[in-house]
Amino acid sequence: MAETVIQVENLSKIYRLGTTGTGSLRQDLQRWWTTAIRKREDPFFQAPALGAKPSAVQNQALWALRDVNFEIKQGEVWGIIGNNGAGKSTLLKVISRIVRPTRGTVKGRGRISSLLEVGTGFHPELSGRENIFLSGFILGMSKDEIRSKFDEIVAFSGLELFLDTPVKRYSSGMYVRLAFAVAAHLEPDILILDEVLAVGDAEFQKKCLGKMREVSQKEGRTILFVSHSMQAVAKLCQYGLWLQQGMVRESGRVTQVVNNYLLGTQNNNIKQTWATPEEGPGNDQVRFKAVELVTHLAVPDAPLDIRASLTIKFQFWNLAGNAVLNAGLHLFSYGGECIFDVPSPSITCAQGVVSGECTIPGNFLNDGSYFISLVIVRDTLIEVFYFEECLSFTMEDFRGDIQWQGKWMGTVRPALPFQLTQPETIIQ
Amino acid sequence: MSGSPDAKWDWEIAAKTSWWGSSLSELWSYRHLLVGLVRRDFLLSYQQTVLGPLWMLFQPLMTLITYVLVFGKVVGISTQDTPPTLFYLAGIVLWNLFNDAFTNTSSTFRDNAHIFSKVYFPRLVMPLAQLSGQLLRFVIQLLLLLAVLCYYVLFTPWAVPVTTQLFLVPLAIALVAALSLSLGLIFSVLTGKYRDITYIAGLAIRLLMFLTPVIYPMSYVAEKWRWIVQINPLTPLFELFRLGLLGKGNVTSPQLFYSGAFTGVLLVVALLIFNKQGDKLIDVV
Repeated sequence: MAETVIQVENLSKIYRLGTTGTGSLRQDLQRWWTTAIRKREDPFFQAPALGAKPSAVQNQALWALRDVNFEIKQGEVWGIIGNNGAGKSTLLKVISRIVRPTRGTVKGRGRISSLLEVGTGFHPELSGRENIFLSGFILGMSKDEIRSKFDEIVAFSGLELFLDTPVKRYSSGMYVRLAFAVAAHLEPDILILDEVLAVGDAEFQKKCLGKMREVSQKEGRTILFVSHSMQAVAKLCQYGLWLQQGMVRESGRVTQVVNNYLLGTQNNNIKQTWATPEEGPGNDQVRFKAVELVTHLAVPDAPLDIRASLTIKFQFWNLAGNAVLNAGLHLFSYGGECIFDVPSPSITCAQGVVSGECTIPGNFLNDGSYFISLVIVRDTLIEVFYFEECLSFTMEDFRGDIQWQGKWMGTVRPALPFQLTQPETIIQ
Repeated sequence: MSGSPDAKWDWEIAAKTSWWGSSLSELWSYRHLLVGLVRRDFLLSYQQTVLGPLWMLFQPLMTLITYVLVFGKVVGISTQDTPPTLFYLAGIVLWNLFNDAFTNTSSTFRDNAHIFSKVYFPRLVMPLAQLSGQLLRFVIQLLLLLAVLCYYVLFTPWAVPVTTQLFLVPLAIALVAALSLSLGLIFSVLTGKYRDITYIAGLAIRLLMFLTPVIYPMSYVAEKWRWIVQINPLTPLFELFRLGLLGKGNVTSPQLFYSGAFTGVLLVVALLIFNKQGDKLIDVV
């Protein structure tokens, strides 16, 4: 078994909300006197007890991390996921030695490099060449290391022509490319990345993901990765760590964690209704009255699996009076890829409730999590209202008598007519 | 589970900060960063300027002219046998080192908050880089002083009284630099937490200049008030610097010892405070 390179034990971090310190030198001195000299409790700030309810905000203190435990082995790629404010970045900062934990320890082996921001240490006035060195030094590379990789870095960034131009004259895309190029050529034992792929164009993101995969697979480097793109996490990582309000909600194989995370954040969302037009989402032309996902299960009371067909029913108020309206249904995979976009026929609607219905056949979608957005279009041209992610659901896998248990490829898994015959045999 | 003993870990992050912070070997491994930062500051300060690095000489020369006119001619402070130009220039060059190194290191946390909150390296690298940059400037200004000194020796009847204290000049420079760094480190922690300390520090350093023999010789101060100036650990260092280079200065061995001990103790205290408080400040700045 590979050796453990990072061990996190009971890690907690408390941030104080509001003003830092008490805001005045006199009170700070008083606090220092009571806590440090007389060893009494802090008169201005009480740390919440460990056994207290896990509400995040207590006594103006925020548990950014709370009793986090996990272990990472050599060569593993971990994706850390969670909502905004779940403590992902704080965790990375503690592991990178930028902030001290309030309690607990992190033990590790090997050199860590962290990339919490693209272009840390870059200075706009300096040329690309100077910045490659400076940023490399700040990230912990030695002079020889940068020299030997200089050409590679430049080639990766694709900015050969602009090396002696101050980076303040770069476009933001060029800036990011140069910054990532430096970081990609770091050779730490453990690499920590925070949302660095959120910037840069699609092609460059692909390049970065490729580089990261190469680094982890070929060179056996350990990577910790925070991203909001579930697709990136699912593709790149083997393991997932789901943080919720500073605590580990789940950790394990990435596909499972990501799916549960999406279920947890998006499930219970198969029916929404609004009693009056004022409450419904929409605008002064249309407002939704109801959206609902009706499932037609092959076996009643079983989880929704790929055999089931689904009917999407929705109703909306047409407030504008005579209008030619049609609806569009967009189905997205959990990674945000649009799987299909189907329009309804247009009808002329008077003021009142309009309802629609669309069925997705069974044995068509692959297993995974999906969400649905609805769009109302007027005159087949003008988008009136886009109701984003109004429904979500997860399709469980069903293989029947197929023995193979690997991940089924593809976004759809349609049961197409498929025949296999044997017109002749060799008779010996 | 690997169940490895604690001794197998390379590093450990815990809630407690050590007083000593980063080890010397860790600092040494970041020496390239230090050089890179000095280079950056040097390139930056003269980018898109007309005079470029000449500013390093222009600034002390302008100050010199002002001092010679105001304190030499208008106020009429006697510099005894030493030509006023040399006397003031020596004071200005050494004071610039102290003042600039202090000012730059004392804003370490404020100026670098964005870097400190994104990447780890021994925080001490930043003030050390600032100090190194200032020492580099100082050396260049010192060359200007030596050039002026040569002019006086060669082209005027003034003869430089050769002293045996010449070899003590580097000691004076080192102590001034160390004192400046110590104060800078302490104030960097304070200004990181309480922004208004910056103004107090600026004011205090300007007042300190008048308690240091920069624009007047020790002998100019009345006997009655001399102790105030002598309490200042910078005083023996400035006198020693002038004694070594220009052959005139009022300094005794006990005074020098006092300065050295003061600086040593302050440096240790400053390093401890900087290491201990530096980590906590990241949450605050």
